[in-house]
Amino acid sequence: MTATPVNGMTLSEQSVLGAHAPRTQRTGQSLPFNDELHLQAHRWLVDEAYLLDAQDYDEWLARVADDVHYLMPVRVTTALGAGYSTSPGMAHLDENKYSLSRRVARFATEHAWTEDPPSRLRHYVTNVRTFRTEKADEIVAESAVLLFRSRGDVGEAATVSAGREDLLRRTGTGWELARRTIMLDESVIRMQNLAIFL
Amino acid sequence: MTDQSAVLQDVRQGMIPAHIYNDKEIFDLEKERLFSRSWLFVAHESEVPEAGDYVVRRVLEDSFIISRDEKGEIRAMFNMCLHRGMQVCRAEMGNASHFRCPYHGWSYRNDGRIVGLPFHQEAFGGEEGFRKKGQTLLPAPSLGIYNGLIFISLDPDAQPLEDFLGDFKFYLDYYTKQSADGIELRGPQRWRIKANWKIGAENFAGDMYHTPQTHTSVVEIGLFREPKAEKRKDGTTYWAGNGGGTTYKLPEGGLEDRLRYVGYPDEMIERMKGQWSQQQLDVIGKDGFMISAASLFPNMSFVHNWPRVEEGSDEVLPFISIRQWQPISENETEVLSWFAVDKNASEEYKALSYKAYLMCFGSGGMFEQDDVENWVSLTNTAAGSMARRLLLNGRMGLLENGENVVEPLTPEQYSGPGSTRVGYSEYNQRELLLRWADHLERPARAAAQLHVGVDSVSAAPAACATETAPDAAAAVPAMTSQEA
Repeated sequence: MTATPVNGMTLSEQSVLGAHAPRTQRTGQSLPFNDELHLQAHRWLVDEAYLLDAQDYDEWLARVADDVHYLMPVRVTTALGAGYSTSPGMAHLDENKYSLSRRVARFATEHAWTEDPPSRLRHYVTNVRTFRTEKADEIVAESAVLLFRSRGDVGEAATVSAGREDLLRRTGTGWELARRTIMLDESVIRMQNLAIFL
Repeated sequence: MTDQSAVLQDVRQGMIPAHIYNDKEIFDLEKERLFSRSWLFVAHESEVPEAGDYVVRRVLEDSFIISRDEKGEIRAMFNMCLHRGMQVCRAEMGNASHFRCPYHGWSYRNDGRIVGLPFHQEAFGGEEGFRKKGQTLLPAPSLGIYNGLIFISLDPDAQPLEDFLGDFKFYLDYYTKQSADGIELRGPQRWRIKANWKIGAENFAGDMYHTPQTHTSVVEIGLFREPKAEKRKDGTTYWAGNGGGTTYKLPEGGLEDRLRYVGYPDEMIERMKGQWSQQQLDVIGKDGFMISAASLFPNMSFVHNWPRVEEGSDEVLPFISIRQWQPISENETEVLSWFAVDKNASEEYKALSYKAYLMCFGSGGMFEQDDVENWVSLTNTAAGSMARRLLLNGRMGLLENGENVVEPLTPEQYSGPGSTRVGYSEYNQRELLLRWADHLERPARAAAQLHVGVDSVSAAPAACATETAPDAAAAVPAMTSQEA
């Protein structure tokens, strides 16, 4: 359902812009819901959703690792057995820390019209599963996310549904996002742009 | 249908009735009279490089399979089974030797020929009942390819594609033929915006005037160095054939300096020098202009820009994007946006150019985001009754008496074809809308119904013409679909 490795490679590694992406992969079964690591990961995801809803992007960026790879492939509808469901070599977002920081910086200008007035956002995060990796300080967290975005006072709100696979890394100050792959559930996005983060 | 001649008359004066951007009657006319006869971009050859590769693309409600058959020929076939009308291909892309209808199992080769018709003898009495031999999925009425760009027209009598493109080919080459092998496309990203399709086409065709206001933020964050107000208006707008676009004024220097200024590496510059005509090179090297955004009537656009893509560097890197404004309704458009890059560029260049594209344009692009905000707002407001009273002034560049604010460039000042001017104007938007108005005045071409599998049923009368156009082609006889 999410970024299952193909030929032993994550989608992140397959991206032409993913050379810097951490390669760490999950091991074993999902962790029990009372596992301390699971609880920490779940808390991190929920806290992150609140930051994104509040559009507190500086705080959000502070929780993103310097070597992050943030990837949202373009989904395509392919025949069963085609072996792929993402558009080869194309993504909606294929970001490193620098390009994420430019996006955040743009929101801080007085001229980011697409978010002025700001959207009302609600990230619903659920179906959280966590996995250990071969590294003690890194875990994989899978989640489902539904984003509701309302712009302006008229017009229909937009929703985006996606599955995510995150690599979270423990640092001296807490967990940070080292890799995220967002698998949208639509091949044609019914939202005017992706001036939001999932 | 209401007589729209007053609307078209206003448009020809450069006064644009605001409601044309959200009006169901206008949209119905566009479907009937414009999209039924114009050349429309559907795919690029690089999207179907190998035998059996296909993509599925729409022309409004009509689905077409664009495939490369086993002989390497590009085909565009109506994606509807000849028997009961099921889509024979329901994936967006892939590789297949055959397409099989899941309803009753009719199957077709990737060149369109029927190869499987279950119980042909028992159900139809064999060839006597349904003549299978030579039958194919309906081909697109017209198909044309330029620099690998695949266009179709629903009009079987469409003028040759190259005639339609005309002098715009001169400009198309900058985007699609930077080396002998041309471009490769990735994507498209697809998303839907609640905006009328014409707005994007007009914007890309000539709206240099919006960049200092709409796109301030990307300059402020250091992504882009160009669109300061005083900088942008030093560029030109040009209109040639059925398309037009904008350019940036480049700094002093020769051809190489100027191509380096927008970030092209020397090896690509060398290939451009061998590829483009002296006239094409002179627009850059002698006249000092670099192509930027453009639109080809009715709904295809291009963009060429050069942002900073890496931290702590002043270097910029160019990217090219091709897009289509696919109408969904009078107030909704599906945007298809491809990243395009010279096939012969280095892998490193391709990766950075892709990065540049993603940061600037497309579904997540930082330029693009602010454009669409404007277009959605405009479309919303255009639906109301006050919009029916408002004629938007689209006469920028013209004095009230019709004289030019700025005279066109002379051949000494500008080496390219078409009508070219420095500064802000709306000549190109008017050119697009003039073609739009001409189409809306001309009824759809009469098209014959096609009887498949039988010879004896006589040719049907014109099926979808609502009026008989004086120039309408005589009804085409029932297609007997002899194998091409």
